[in-house]
Amino acid sequence: MKPWIFGVAAGCIFVLADALLPISPPSAYAFCLSCHVRDLVNTALNAAVRSRFQVTEVAGRALMLTSPGVLIGAFIAARMHGEARPRKADRPLLLAVLGFLVMTIGILIFGCPTRIVLRAGYGEIYGIVALAGMGVGIAGATLLMKLRFRAGK
Amino acid sequence: MSAVLLSLAFLGIGLVVGFLAQRSRMCFVAGLRDWILVRDAELLTGLFAFLATVWLMTSVLSAAGLLHQGIPEYPHGAGAAAGGQTGVLLRNMNGLRLSSLVNRFFFVTLAGGFLVGVFSVVAGGCVMRQHVLCAQGDRNALFYLAGFYGAVVVYYALLSRFFGWVYA
Repeated sequence: MKPWIFGVAAGCIFVLADALLPISPPSAYAFCLSCHVRDLVNTALNAAVRSRFQVTEVAGRALMLTSPGVLIGAFIAARMHGEARPRKADRPLLLAVLGFLVMTIGILIFGCPTRIVLRAGYGEIYGIVALAGMGVGIAGATLLMKLRFRAGK
Repeated sequence: MSAVLLSLAFLGIGLVVGFLAQRSRMCFVAGLRDWILVRDAELLTGLFAFLATVWLMTSVLSAAGLLHQGIPEYPHGAGAAAGGQTGVLLRNMNGLRLSSLVNRFFFVTLAGGFLVGVFSVVAGGCVMRQHVLCAQGDRNALFYLAGFYGAVVVYYALLSRFFGWVYA
């Protein structure tokens, strides 16, 4: 499947879900892996140990099962097409630290990369700002990678 | 709508998006990376198609009055103030000047976006892509998700008190 089909399909799903389902507040919240995971974990913790960690308004009305959904959906797709194959972890600590950092920033600026792009698509100012920052970050890191690769050769 | 139905809706959105993301190898970070590295624009077209679709759909639906927009991120507590500003839209500024949005949260958002970009390139994919890789059996992505989920507990139990200045 071409990525642009994913783009169009996902864009339609997220905006239509926001229009048809009682998701807001907050707005542009049909999909976010940082925020929804935060809501899910905090809802579970608040129920289990009676903490009062912050969740969004919609998390009080539903369980944010987006992240498990993505895992199951991708697993089904991979199984159906014989693409599920175990790969050893060659740098587990680095990846765990990166996951930790991306989530921490995601909590602070309200979004994983997907929702940053989603918010920018809504025309939301801080979403556009975050997307601009992300573009510079990706470009900078990639160019550095390219330079190091050339130096290595 | 009942809590069960709405929860199932989120699960359903995740299922469909996860399925499509696995089939298309979509990643919101690798598009720009691949284009810079090897001038491969395929994933980048996915990103632009997504952006254009969302922009078009929200323009149409908000003109029709079907979209609730400009709503704060949290109902109360830390982030409610900045969360209120996060709803400001380009197409609906209500006389608000752009310069009034250039505050501390503006620069945190810019720097945060930058760091998310850098970390995602080092990790080899955006958060959604890591979910897909993990579902395909990639143990690296499993550790990524462990750090990702674990960060929520650590942030709210320990770190949140150090980040109040972000929203001040």
